[in-house]
Amino acid sequence: MSNTDLEDDLRATLDRAAASVPPVTGLTERATTGARQAQRRTWIVSSAAAVAVAAIAIVGFGLAGRNAPAQPPVAAGTSSAKPEASVQAQLSPQTVSGTWRPLQMTGLKALKAERPDDPVLVLRPDGTWGGSDGCNGLQGTYTIGQRGEFTAKAGPQRLVGCENVPHTGVLQAAKRVALDANTLRFYAADGRELARYARAR
Amino acid sequence: MEFEEYVSARGQELVRLGFTVSGDYQRAEDLAQIALMQAFRSWRKVRNADDPHHYVRRILINAYLSMTRRRSFTEAPTAEIDPQRTVPDPATDIVNSDDLWRSLAGLSARERVVLVLRYYQDLDDRTIADLLGIKPSSVRATASRALATLRRTRQSHRVDERLS
Repeated sequence: MSNTDLEDDLRATLDRAAASVPPVTGLTERATTGARQAQRRTWIVSSAAAVAVAAIAIVGFGLAGRNAPAQPPVAAGTSSAKPEASVQAQLSPQTVSGTWRPLQMTGLKALKAERPDDPVLVLRPDGTWGGSDGCNGLQGTYTIGQRGEFTAKAGPQRLVGCENVPHTGVLQAAKRVALDANTLRFYAADGRELARYARAR
Repeated sequence: MEFEEYVSARGQELVRLGFTVSGDYQRAEDLAQIALMQAFRSWRKVRNADDPHHYVRRILINAYLSMTRRRSFTEAPTAEIDPQRTVPDPATDIVNSDDLWRSLAGLSARERVVLVLRYYQDLDDRTIADLLGIKPSSVRATASRALATLRRTRQSHRVDERLS
C-alpha cells in the first residue's frame, strides 16, 4: 500500500469518525458556569491560604516575641507599626459604620468591571456587616477594637458567579483596620494592606 | 466576536476534534468544555488573537496531551456499574467497523495528535509545530513514524484475515 493510499484512508476514517459525533448542546452554559466556578474556587483557595499565612505569622511572631530578650519600654504613641500610625480616629463600630465602596484590593484587577449589583460593603454600628460582591448579598458580624484590632465572620451567602468582589475574603483575612478621613484600610496580620475603601454615604 | 457566537459557530468542531484525538466521545466533550472554559476566562485576549480558533484548538490539544500524561489517564472501572444506565454511543458502531480507526488507538498520544491535525484538520507541519510547541522537523518525524506503525498494523491485520 502506498503512502498516499494510507493518507487518503486516514483522511476518510477521521472524517467519518468526526461526522459520527452527535450534536452537543449547552456548551456555552457549561463553559461559562465551569469557568466561574473555577474562579470562585481559586478565590476560596487563595483566601484560605491568606488566612493560613496570617495565622502562621501570628503564631510565629508570638513565639518570636516570647523568646526575644526584654525590650526597653516604648513611650506611648510612638509605635512604628504602619497600620496604627495611620489611625487617626478612635475606632469603634460607630465610627466605621456606613457604606463603603472598594478602591483597591490586593490581587483584584477587575474592580471596575460591570456587575449586576453595586459591590459595596456596609458596616453597621450594631457589629453586623452586609453588602454585595456584585451579584450575591453578603452578611456577617465583625468586632473592632479601639486601636483597630479587627475580626469578622461571614454568614450564609449565595454563590452566584460573576466578577465577584471578595469583601468576605478581605474581612476574614483582616486583623487590623485604619480609618483616615473617609478612607478605610484593612491590613493583614503582617501589616500588608489588603484593601482600601472610600466612604460612599 | 462574542464568546457565545464563537461557541455556536465552532463548539461542535471542537468536540469533533476532541473525539478524533481521544477516540472517546465523553472525553471529547470534556476536552471541548475545558478548552472553552479556559478561553472564556481570558476571552478578551483570545478574541484579539490573529486566529481565535487556533488559540482554542491549542488549549484543547494541550489539555488532551496533559491528560494522557497523568497516571490516572487509564481509568479503572468503578465497582458497580448499572448496565441499564449506560448511554449508547452512536459513534461506536461506525468507528468499530474501521480497522484503521482501531489502529490509531495503538499510537502514542502525540503521534495521534499529529496525524489528526495533519489529516483531519489539514494543518501544515509548521502550524502543527507551533500548536504543539515543537520543531517542524519533529512533526515530520512523528508523522512518519506514526504512518509506518499504521501501515505495519494494517498489513498484519490483512495477513490475519487471509489466514482465518
